[in-house]
Amino acid sequence: MLNYIIKRLLQTIPVLFIIVFTVFTLVYLAGDPVALMLPEDATPEEIETLKSALNLDKPFIVQFGTYVGNLVQGDFGTSFHYDLPALPLVLERMPATIELALAAMVVGVLIAIPLGIWSAAKRNTGVDVAITGGSVLGQAIPNFWLGIMLILVFSVNIQIFPVSGRGSLMHLVLPAITLGTGLAATVARLTRSNLIEVLGQDFVRTARAKGVNKFVVLFRHGLRNSLIPVVTVMAMQTSSLLGGALITEYIFSWPGIGQLLVQAVHMRDMAVIQAATFVIALAVILMNFLADITYRLLDPRIKMH
Amino acid sequence: MKRFWFPMVVIGVLSIFIITGCSNDKEEVENDPPLNEDDDTLVVAIPADMASQDIHNHNSTLTESIHVNMYDYLFQKNEEGEIEPHLIEEYENIDDHTWEFVLKEGVTFHNGDELTAEDVKFTLERVAHDESLREHFQYKQIDEVEVVDDYHFKIYTIDPDPILLNRLSRIGSGILPKDYIDENGWDHFLENPIGTGPFKFVDWSRDSEIVYEVYDDYFDGAVEDWNKLVFKVVPEDSTRVAELLTGGVDIALNVPNHEWDRIDDNEGTKMESTTSQRVAMYLLRFQEEYPTSDPRVREAIDLAINNEVLTENVLGGGGVPVRSRVTPGNMGANEDLYDTFNYDPERAKELLEEAGYGDGLEITLNGPSGRYTKDRDVQEMVAAMLEEVGITVNLDLMEWSKFVDLRESFKFDDGFFITYGNSQFDASLPLESMRTDFAKDMQGYENEEYEELLDKAEVNMDLDERAEQYKQAQEIIAEDLPYVYLYAEMVNYGTNDALEFTPRADEMIFAKDITKK
Repeated sequence: MLNYIIKRLLQTIPVLFIIVFTVFTLVYLAGDPVALMLPEDATPEEIETLKSALNLDKPFIVQFGTYVGNLVQGDFGTSFHYDLPALPLVLERMPATIELALAAMVVGVLIAIPLGIWSAAKRNTGVDVAITGGSVLGQAIPNFWLGIMLILVFSVNIQIFPVSGRGSLMHLVLPAITLGTGLAATVARLTRSNLIEVLGQDFVRTARAKGVNKFVVLFRHGLRNSLIPVVTVMAMQTSSLLGGALITEYIFSWPGIGQLLVQAVHMRDMAVIQAATFVIALAVILMNFLADITYRLLDPRIKMH
Repeated sequence: MKRFWFPMVVIGVLSIFIITGCSNDKEEVENDPPLNEDDDTLVVAIPADMASQDIHNHNSTLTESIHVNMYDYLFQKNEEGEIEPHLIEEYENIDDHTWEFVLKEGVTFHNGDELTAEDVKFTLERVAHDESLREHFQYKQIDEVEVVDDYHFKIYTIDPDPILLNRLSRIGSGILPKDYIDENGWDHFLENPIGTGPFKFVDWSRDSEIVYEVYDDYFDGAVEDWNKLVFKVVPEDSTRVAELLTGGVDIALNVPNHEWDRIDDNEGTKMESTTSQRVAMYLLRFQEEYPTSDPRVREAIDLAINNEVLTENVLGGGGVPVRSRVTPGNMGANEDLYDTFNYDPERAKELLEEAGYGDGLEITLNGPSGRYTKDRDVQEMVAAMLEEVGITVNLDLMEWSKFVDLRESFKFDDGFFITYGNSQFDASLPLESMRTDFAKDMQGYENEEYEELLDKAEVNMDLDERAEQYKQAQEIIAEDLPYVYLYAEMVNYGTNDALEFTPRADEMIFAKDITKK
């Protein structure tokens, strides 16, 4: 187990390097940020002066070398926009993003798993059709539409929740629902289909034949064995919740990594884009790693290699 | 039968959303926003976060409009754009290179230290000498600030600088506390900034809000209507409007045209607007290989565009037609070229015929999309207008950063669409880009008469004569058409009815001038 963990952790190093290289190259190819930093009618002379002041006039390989050299020492560079170290800027947004991701997760799981079970237990009835149809709808609705509609209905018309910002628990409700709906839809459908598959297997029939209580069959024999793919999907979704909440954070003015990243891309704030993608990539790798470990706990048949 | 209830539920839920969410019916969406729950707090919703606490190292008008509440300028523009002494008691222009100033006594920083000439020297020399600062280019004219005594100082400029006072009343000239920064270091200052303004800094949660509170010892008398001033970052347009409608904020910046009715129709909120310094225009190429090098083609383009259709129909009343980039309120503005435009499609057709394009002409125009108010719609409408007179336009619209690369590398086609602001409130900055040393490489334009006028005006300390020179220069541009000007944009604010708020052309939000009714 320990060997496995060490091996997996070592594998992350080349992955992170490739990510750093790819993002750096893409941002470099997109053009230099100096033209965006100066007023619209700055002269070429002004642009050159600022470029050399920021070391952006060096060749690509020198810039990249310097960047990686600093990176291994934990220095992610300085944000052009904020004129502050990039990594702390990203990390200070983490709590907001994690808070929203967890809340969305709670919304997702609390709605999805019971509905998935109910739907599987009542297969091919009206309940099942309603839940399955609802999940298709949930997956199809774009976040920006849902977010704006929730604000119109619950903040502007019936003034229950605050429109935007972060602070109290009330601020969290609408963004969590917006972000959690897509997840809930995916998880509900997956729970349903897996549970139906497991409930059709021989050991379940045996259990039923032995006269085991139908709830025990459903939850102990059925649900536990159908959860592995659900855990996989949830782990992958969590990482996308951390990095992919861009739209939701933007609509609700939620001060998380997503909003920071959108702004950094607009400004070509290279250091911030790098630091934010690095942190998100690391989170994705760690979540997948945790998912692997969780499989083993749920299903001892899976061997660690 | 059971299966029927699912579609019914879906239809039901959707109907609720549609009826309550999309309703335009005034009766149903009426909110009467209170003047914010906390009455002594003025909350302003801004579309992007403040760029920096360092007043010398940003060039964002939005950031300046926040900073003006905690830093004072030596001079300040009034609502008409006239420059008036602010921290200055008296001043004199001694000779072409020297200005002498006397500071007002009793002005204090938020830590209680008195403002002295040393603070002015520290502030202005930092931005004048440090090339890495983004505002350096606006201040490099300043050679030295000499402190005579605590309240007297002199500014020496490298060349005669008729717009020194414009520089001293804009981004980068807010006076910083020398002793406080010397004692605590620059990093400490950026975390805990102080100025001499009517509000003092409390907190900045990045991407969330900037909080100021009133400074009781402000030299001009403490602000009475507000205890707190909050700038809340709300990037999404419709969310910003929703905040205004529900009373979550008192003023919302950058309200897009399609939301104006929603704010005006709602009880307790209204739209306020004024013309800004920002002018939309087309740059056209003068190099021989381009058809726009023919003056008849450029004139035909100008005559084919109905500027009023752009301002009234496309922008919904959000602009004023212009024939110059220098709008009234700027020193040297030519009023004859404001609120006017040339439109004569028949003459345009004749001109094209004369130029040998009777069978039609095809040009490619580049432009940014999603950067300025309705930029895509404006460019599409202009293309349609040119089509009417026989010019087929290939529209090449792109994302802003890609557009900037194209423009900087001079690789654009026959011309491009752009809008430019003017933070200097003077004709010199907007007219600079048509000067030979810049425009020749960029678009192939040069005009000796224009060049001479600008050479003279640039160092002319006789301000009336200087304004005349700039007015003439604008007429040359309106004739030569290196740029075809379209309109000056309006700045728009959604505000709470209970406020007395007059928008300013320089887009500053002076909370001390905003009062409760």
